[in-house]
Amino acid sequence: MVNVRPSLATKLGQLQLPYPTLMGSGCYGTGEEFAPFADLRKIGAIVLKSVTRLPRLGNPMPRIVHTPAGMLNAIGLQNPGLEWYLERELPKYAQRPCKLIGSVAGFSVDDYAYVTERLAARSELAAIELNISCPNVASEGETFGCDPGLTASVVRAARSTTDKTLIVKLSPNVTDICAVAREAEAAGADALAVINTVRGMAVDVEAWRPRLANVSGGLSGPAIRPIAVLAVYEVAQAVKIPIVGQGGIETVTDALEFFLAGASAISIGTANFTDPRIPERIVAELETYLARRGCAGIEAIVGKANLGFATPHQYEGDEG
Amino acid sequence: MPTPDRTAAVHATTVLERRELASGVICLSLDAPLLADATRPGQYVMAIPPSAQTAATALAVYEAEGKRASLLFFVTGKRTQELAELRCGDRLDVVGPLGNGFQCKINVRDVAIVAGGVGIASVLLCAHALIRDGARVRLFYGARTAALLVDTQRFADAGCDLILTTDDGSAGERGFVTDALERARKPEAIYACGPTPMLRTVARIATEYGIHAQLALEETFGCGIGGCWGCVVSVIGDSAQAPSFPPAVRGGSDVVYARICREGPVFRADELRW
Repeated sequence: MVNVRPSLATKLGQLQLPYPTLMGSGCYGTGEEFAPFADLRKIGAIVLKSVTRLPRLGNPMPRIVHTPAGMLNAIGLQNPGLEWYLERELPKYAQRPCKLIGSVAGFSVDDYAYVTERLAARSELAAIELNISCPNVASEGETFGCDPGLTASVVRAARSTTDKTLIVKLSPNVTDICAVAREAEAAGADALAVINTVRGMAVDVEAWRPRLANVSGGLSGPAIRPIAVLAVYEVAQAVKIPIVGQGGIETVTDALEFFLAGASAISIGTANFTDPRIPERIVAELETYLARRGCAGIEAIVGKANLGFATPHQYEGDEG
Repeated sequence: MPTPDRTAAVHATTVLERRELASGVICLSLDAPLLADATRPGQYVMAIPPSAQTAATALAVYEAEGKRASLLFFVTGKRTQELAELRCGDRLDVVGPLGNGFQCKINVRDVAIVAGGVGIASVLLCAHALIRDGARVRLFYGARTAALLVDTQRFADAGCDLILTTDDGSAGERGFVTDALERARKPEAIYACGPTPMLRTVARIATEYGIHAQLALEETFGCGIGGCWGCVVSVIGDSAQAPSFPPAVRGGSDVVYARICREGPVFRADELRW
């Protein structure tokens, strides 16, 4: 056993975090909304809501449907646009007691590069997340995250504009997430956020219509946790850069699954809608767990569940 | 409208009393003195599910007096079912009070409160405040059927004149509560909470009368505290409740999406563009 308090500090690229807990983009507002109910000094960083070059009103209502063990959302990247955001919003966030990560969404390679450059130039933001995986904007948003070649182009273009830590948020709605992850790494990503929401839909059986105005939405919450844990496990073996594991984390056990699968940090989203005290609780319990297991820091457990991939038992002589 | 309350907090409470006002209509009274003290009419809480297995549920604060704050709700699904199973002495953590609430000091004498279904939960404190302020209050209260017209005596005791309606005619007048409102004497102001079609009709009536109306909107929330933008409604760009956002032109006026949970849930009828 070590007698010193275990360290929860972690590092994503050059971004040093006192705690390995991020608050997911679009789930934690600007932090101010949650401040009366949560100690922002006890979280690693807030990933702010995604910003696009031009303002977006977002999708019509309904935007939220609660589903078994999770929820569907289709907000549609509502945001005031880059100029308004830089001028009127960001200055308000300067006094947050935790680090802030800007999130960039776009509809072209040039959009991503331009918005990244402008956001990264701001001192309020410690790092940038590229949201190339929003499932809720008609046809384009997720296209980048679903195509390894486009992912490479977007990341390369954004990379060329800043030295700040660049986190690329991957979509689970792909055949081979590792192919996308490898391209993002090769193009200069410092870290990968794994995963964004899983596409889904719910139907109103009385009204005979989809329950979301956008028809489809992004599924989050514990329903997607096993999907996310596997994605982290696979991506961790495909790349060398750190991973921010996310998808339905509600308890310390959930968080540990992600660390052991290969995440260097985790992100909490929908669980904040259940109880705003969850992030602080997870941090406290992570510390207790590390102390009990005699670990000096969180990095001691990252990827420790990695057994590679199982080989099926076979009948003798069966080549398949 | 009042600005959102800064005294909101997470309250660890205990259930003092559980009343089943009708089949599937529950009123939980909580030992929550700080919440009761801080709550204004029309505000709500997010009830944290004891199982932690679902998202929190937005519930109107029905009563707030002394150490007691009560939540009145209909059982409509898994989340409210779990809350309905709570018994006296059980723990329930709630986040609140949240939202702006009704502005009750408007110096009018003849007020109509319109409530539909579970919307009744948001208007008792409002009725108390208006009556305390010297207003005469008529409560227009509609439900599907007689059994779901709950706690009417409470409103009568508070000093409201009651006009009841049911969809099936099993109590009061048959038909929509807004039909009764239109047939009645014109009020000086309207306060309303209920399903969106009812609120739209109330807004139309208020416009025709040229009177002030405050509507408490019902919507499915994500976080319930302004963090996710999952519950929005269009308001005019120069509304005091418009969030910082570049207005879009729609139907000849500047509009922005306001969060029902954060900028609302109570909006002036003449500022909504829905």
